[in-house]
Amino acid sequence: MDVIPSLDLLGGRVVRLTRGDFATAHAYGEPEAVLESLNVPRGSRLHIVDLEGSRSGAPVETKNVARLAARDLRVQVGGGIRSVDDARRWLDCGAQKVVIGTVAADSPNTLHAIVDAAGAERVIAAVDVRDGIVRVAGWERDAERTLAEVLATIRENGIQEILITDISRDGVMRGPSFAMYRELRRQECLRSTANGAQTFLSAPSIIASGGVSTIGDVVSLARLPNISGCVIGKALLDRKIDLAEARARATVPNAIPERVIPCLDVRDGRVVKGINFRGIRDAGDPVECAKRYEAEGADELVILDISATDHGRETALETVHRVAVALFIPLTVGGGVRSVDDFRSMLRAGADRVAINTAALKNPQLIADCAREFGVQAVVLSCDAKDGHAMVRSGKESTGIDAVEWCAEAERLGAGEILLTSVNRDGTNSGFDIELLRAVTARVKISVIASGGAGTLQHFRDAIEAGGARAVLAASLFHDRVLTVRDVKRYLDTEGIPVRW
Amino acid sequence: MDVTLIDSPVANVANIARGLREAGATLDVTRDAEAIARAAKIVLPGVGSFIAAMRWIEENRIDDAIRTAVENGASLLGICVGHQALFEASYEMGVTRGLGLVAGEVKKFEGALPVPQIGWNRVTANGSPLFDGIASGTSFYFVNSYAVSNAPNEIARADYGGPFTAAVQNGRVFGVQFHPEKSSAAGLRVLRNFAAWT
Repeated sequence: MDVIPSLDLLGGRVVRLTRGDFATAHAYGEPEAVLESLNVPRGSRLHIVDLEGSRSGAPVETKNVARLAARDLRVQVGGGIRSVDDARRWLDCGAQKVVIGTVAADSPNTLHAIVDAAGAERVIAAVDVRDGIVRVAGWERDAERTLAEVLATIRENGIQEILITDISRDGVMRGPSFAMYRELRRQECLRSTANGAQTFLSAPSIIASGGVSTIGDVVSLARLPNISGCVIGKALLDRKIDLAEARARATVPNAIPERVIPCLDVRDGRVVKGINFRGIRDAGDPVECAKRYEAEGADELVILDISATDHGRETALETVHRVAVALFIPLTVGGGVRSVDDFRSMLRAGADRVAINTAALKNPQLIADCAREFGVQAVVLSCDAKDGHAMVRSGKESTGIDAVEWCAEAERLGAGEILLTSVNRDGTNSGFDIELLRAVTARVKISVIASGGAGTLQHFRDAIEAGGARAVLAASLFHDRVLTVRDVKRYLDTEGIPVRW
Repeated sequence: MDVTLIDSPVANVANIARGLREAGATLDVTRDAEAIARAAKIVLPGVGSFIAAMRWIEENRIDDAIRTAVENGASLLGICVGHQALFEASYEMGVTRGLGLVAGEVKKFEGALPVPQIGWNRVTANGSPLFDGIASGTSFYFVNSYAVSNAPNEIARADYGGPFTAAVQNGRVFGVQFHPEKSSAAGLRVLRNFAAWT
C-alpha cells in the first residue's frame, strides 16, 4: 500500500481544516518547508488539495503545484476541477493525476469528457462520504446521486483509483472507517458474483483518506485487500506518524503476526477470576491451564498475581516457576513487584518479562532501573486505566494521573511494552476500550497489549484493527472456554490479520 | 543424543537446557574448556550484550575450545547472541571481533521500525536440515537489536524493516538469531533437528 502525504493549500500555505470547516484553518507554513520537515523523498507520490479552488470552482494554486511537480514529486491534485479545461490546466503545470470530486458525483457527462481528454489512468475519482451520503463542493452540500450510483459511474469510465474519504472522521484523529471500507469490499464482491469475474478484476482500488492518525491505522489499512493507498495529512503534520516508518510498515503489514495472549489471574497458587477485580472465584491449576493454552496456540502467557499477603507472594514465585518450566512460549509475570530485587526474583523464577504497575506509579525511576539492569525487552508497564486515570492496588485506587500521559512517560523511561487494561471494561465482555487504546497507541511507539472487556471474536479484531493494539489479552473468556485461543486466531486470520500458526 | 551446553553467565542457560531436554537431548552443561574442546555436539547460548558474551568466551578460553572441537568435526549451534558470536565481528558500540566461524558482520537494525525487535516474526528457510519438518513462513520468537544481513551462509531469513539473516549454516556450524526455546513446537523442532543431526 502506498502511503501518500497530503497537503491542503490555501493562499499558498499548507493548512488543515477540521471537518472541512474553513473557519478552523490552521496554517503550517510554505509547502517546500513542510515537505522538507516531513522528509518526503524524491519520487514520492504527493496529494495536493486546492482548498480555495474547491470552494470557488476553479484552479487557484497552479503556480505552487507547478513548483512542487518540478521537485521530482508525483503530484496528484484536486479541488475545484469542474471542466476539461480545469483538468488540462493542472496536468499542464506538471501534475501527474487529477482528483475529480464534485463533478464525479454530480455530472457524469463532464467526468466522461475529462476521462476522454486526460485518459482514465490520469484521473482519480474522489468521493467524500458522510454517514453514507456523498458530499460535494468542499463538503458543503449533499450530492444529487447516491453512493452506489456515483461508484457505478466511476467504474463505467474505467477509472482505476477512487479516493474515498469519510469526512466525519477527517482531521479528528478517530481513525479510518474500517467498517465502511469492509462494506465497500463486500458490495464489490457481491457485484462481481452477479456480473462474473471480469468486472471484479477491473474494480478500481481504493485510496483511503480521513482519520488516519496512528501507525496502527496504516498497518490495518494496508491489510484490507481493496485498499491500494492511503492519504495522510494532519497526522504527518502533527508528527503523530513518521512517513518512513509508515511506509516500512505498509510494505509488509503481514510480516509480523499479532499475538493472542491468555492471562491467568493467580492467587495463593490457584487461578482465580473476578469481575472488575472483585467477586473472586477459583478457576483451576495454573500449570494445567498454561499447558492447554500453549497447545491451543497462545503466543505468550501472562500471569498476574493478585495475592494480597506476603505468604501469597512467596507462593507466586513458586507458581511462576512451575508454569515457566512447563512452557515453551514467552511468559510475562506481574503483581506485587516493588523493587529491582523483586523484578530479578521473577526473572530467576522463569519469567521472560515482568510487568510493573503500582510500584512504578509510586516511583517511576523503577522502570528506568529495571530497563538498565535487565534490558527494555524485559520491562512491561502494566497500566490499569479507569475513567482515563491510572489506577493502583489492582484497580481499586485512582492516582489521578492521566493514563495516556503515564504510558508515554513509561516508554520514555524504558518500558518495552505496555499492558493496557481498562478497569471499566474488565470482566464485562462488552469489548475492549477502543478509544483508550487509540489514545495510547497514538502516543507511544512501543507495542500495546489490549486487555479488559473481550467478549466476542469481533472485539479482538477491533482492538488490533481500530485500536492499534499489537496483542490482545483475555482471561475469563478463555478460562470459561466461551472461546478458545484457536478460535480467536482462526477468526483474525479470516479477517486478514496475520497470526502465528 | 549427547549435547554439550556451554554454561555461559551471559545467557539463559536454564531455558535452553529445558528446551534441549524436551527435544530429546542428554545434556552436559559445562564451563570447562577441555570438556568443550572434546565435545561432539555443542550449543552456545547468549543473551544481552555481544561484548559481554565475547569477553566471557575469550577470558575463559572457550573460543579456542570451540575452534578445536569444530576442527575435530564437532557440530555447533549458536543461539541469539551465541549465533552472533559465530560471525567475524559485531558493531555493537565499536567493533568487537567474533569467533569468525561464519562470514558476516553483526550490525544494528536500520530503518524505521522500533528497536529492539521483540516478538514473533516469520522465517523463510531454504531447505537446511535444521528446518526439517518446518513449513516456510513459520514464526519464531526474536528479541534483538542487532542482526546480520545477507550472510553468505544464510539458511533462513526474516524481515524487520528489511531482510535479515535468521539462521546460518557453514558446514557443521549453525546459528539461529531467534529463541528456539521460546518458539513453542517449531522451536523445539529446530533443537531436535540439531540434536539428531549427524
